[in-house]
Amino acid sequence: MARIRHVRGFDVARPLSIAALLGIMLPLILLPLLSIFVYGTGKGLGVFWSSLIAPDAVFALKLSIATSFWATVFNVLFGLFASYVLSRYDFWGRNAVIVTISLPTAIPTAVAGFSLLLLWGRYGMIGQFLTEDQQIMFTPYAIILANIFVTFPLAFGVIKPVFDTMSRSMEEASATIGATRLQTFWHVTLPSLRGAIVSGALLTFARAIGEFGSTILVSGNLAGRTQTAPLYIFAKFNEGQIEAANAIAIVLALLSFVIFSVLFFARDWFDIDTQEV
Amino acid sequence: MMARMALAPDSGSLHVSWAPEREKSSGVAASVRGVSKRFKKSSVLKDVSFDVAEGESLVLLGASGSGKTTILRIIAGLEQPDSGYVILHGKDVTDLPARERGVGVIFQAYALFPRMTVEKNIAYGLKIRHSPWKERKEAVNQLIKLVQLEEHRKKYPWQLSGGQQQRVAIARTLAYKPQVLLFDEPFGALDAQTRVHLRREIRSLLKQVKVPAIFITHDQEEALELGDRIAVLNDGHLEQIGTPDDVYNHPATEYVATFLGAANLLLGVATQGTVEIGTAKLPAEKETRRFSEGQSVKLVFRPEDVCISQDANLPSGCRRLTNGVIQEVNFVGAYERLTVRLDLTHRKGETDGLYQVTINTPERMTGVPIMVTRPKPEATAMKFKPGDRVAIGLTSFSVLPNYTLARQR
Repeated sequence: MARIRHVRGFDVARPLSIAALLGIMLPLILLPLLSIFVYGTGKGLGVFWSSLIAPDAVFALKLSIATSFWATVFNVLFGLFASYVLSRYDFWGRNAVIVTISLPTAIPTAVAGFSLLLLWGRYGMIGQFLTEDQQIMFTPYAIILANIFVTFPLAFGVIKPVFDTMSRSMEEASATIGATRLQTFWHVTLPSLRGAIVSGALLTFARAIGEFGSTILVSGNLAGRTQTAPLYIFAKFNEGQIEAANAIAIVLALLSFVIFSVLFFARDWFDIDTQEV
Repeated sequence: MMARMALAPDSGSLHVSWAPEREKSSGVAASVRGVSKRFKKSSVLKDVSFDVAEGESLVLLGASGSGKTTILRIIAGLEQPDSGYVILHGKDVTDLPARERGVGVIFQAYALFPRMTVEKNIAYGLKIRHSPWKERKEAVNQLIKLVQLEEHRKKYPWQLSGGQQQRVAIARTLAYKPQVLLFDEPFGALDAQTRVHLRREIRSLLKQVKVPAIFITHDQEEALELGDRIAVLNDGHLEQIGTPDDVYNHPATEYVATFLGAANLLLGVATQGTVEIGTAKLPAEKETRRFSEGQSVKLVFRPEDVCISQDANLPSGCRRLTNGVIQEVNFVGAYERLTVRLDLTHRKGETDGLYQVTINTPERMTGVPIMVTRPKPEATAMKFKPGDRVAIGLTSFSVLPNYTLARQR
């Protein structure tokens, strides 16, 4: 039996286990990611570029970014408000509210999209009362709604724990110094949440920009009108235009990469001045 | 003024008072009147009243759960009393929110704003009051000088030591000229050495700024050093309020006697100007005057107030109690601690003979044990060993009524 042992202070297990780790990650994550870059640029950067600036492609990217942005704005504001209420006040049913906010993570995105259709669709519970020009489904607003739904708990989930652990005495100190609640929130509470807000926003945005399941149901997938970037990839792939799909895939992959790098370092950047002595 | 010159020679130009500007004051800065508070089912404060004079520092001393923090929070306006009033400089502020009271609270962990520099923390009170920028800057400069943090003004709280953070917290409250400063366990988070050092620092700072202060602490040494007066709290009510000398040397209750330092306690009867403990009689004309003949009393005395001598001659000023046997001698650094068993025999008719000293072997040891401490010089001059018979006297003691039931108080 081969025994792995230290040889003159050299731990053999170390390179072996690192190699095994990378070996597992390679076919599962690294190679798939690598392949979109290999194939996407395989026919030359010219093809890549012309696929990228195709009007429908540009529109899809813009639409994705815009709808994700507004969903992020809403969910961060809501997450802040919900965290404030739920960590400052105790009331009957408080836990039920927390569970409900977190629920969308557990719901399949197709179900989320479908339920929005049932509510807002032409014959839906609310939709039936809307006139033809007020209809929301199959418009960019439907995409925002779907994005809000599926990313609902993300910002809240990051902000709430920070609220919970934030010492009350800081806000009390501000009050005794003479600040109003609003001043305290603006000058004291909010700055302490900076890191959490940035993380929550990035997390929400990253999740929203890649959203597929719910978007395809509520948007109608109309090229140049309600087709987001992930839908564009899917449509072009179905049409056999692999280069067109690939170009957008690269952009989305790079965007996620950037977002996650920022996310990874955001805490360090923003919370550096709250370190324990 | 002398204190200021002596303690902070480099702040000679600081002739600004940080106490609030007001007309000729009545002398009382803050007053708590009949404050009671319940949390759910338990009563936390029971009819507590006290005053803090202008420029005075008062220490609220009590064990955890005694309600001292609640009083502080009620004065600050962070908690509402169920009944009673809080009066600051003659104005009833009971119904005012915290931000309108102008009280400075130095929280236990200082609660500095982590995203603001030292300067900005100190300027915060003026900023939210929208005071002019120039005025603000001037005040901050003076305060930073006062608390000697000139070279740290651009630093963030986490870059400061505990003591520096505390000074920022104090300066931050002084900026808006608080009516009273409230310190919540100000030294709780610091190590023992820093604690002693900072105590003196704060004391001299308070003497400079002349703002009345209320400290809360569970540390009796801290209380004795910081307070012009000490209020001892026990289970939500005020046991005694007085100067450190008062509460330490003339404790009004058994709780005060035992909470502030060590105390020996013996049960006796007040008769004919003496305290009679078994067959022993301690002359106490003055101390027993307020008791009726034959009333049951407690004799309370501190370990350092016991004098012992191997012959019958006790030093003058020392009133003889009885004899005893040395049981144990411990040397504990600055002083010597002895356990002495007293010869206290019950009077005729009382059958319990437990108090009689017999022989000093551990197996058959009887007699009432008391604790005695002696300063080092005395301990070296006159050495004792276990088994020595000694005469016991007291230089100072208190006689308290012995109520069998708490409600008789």
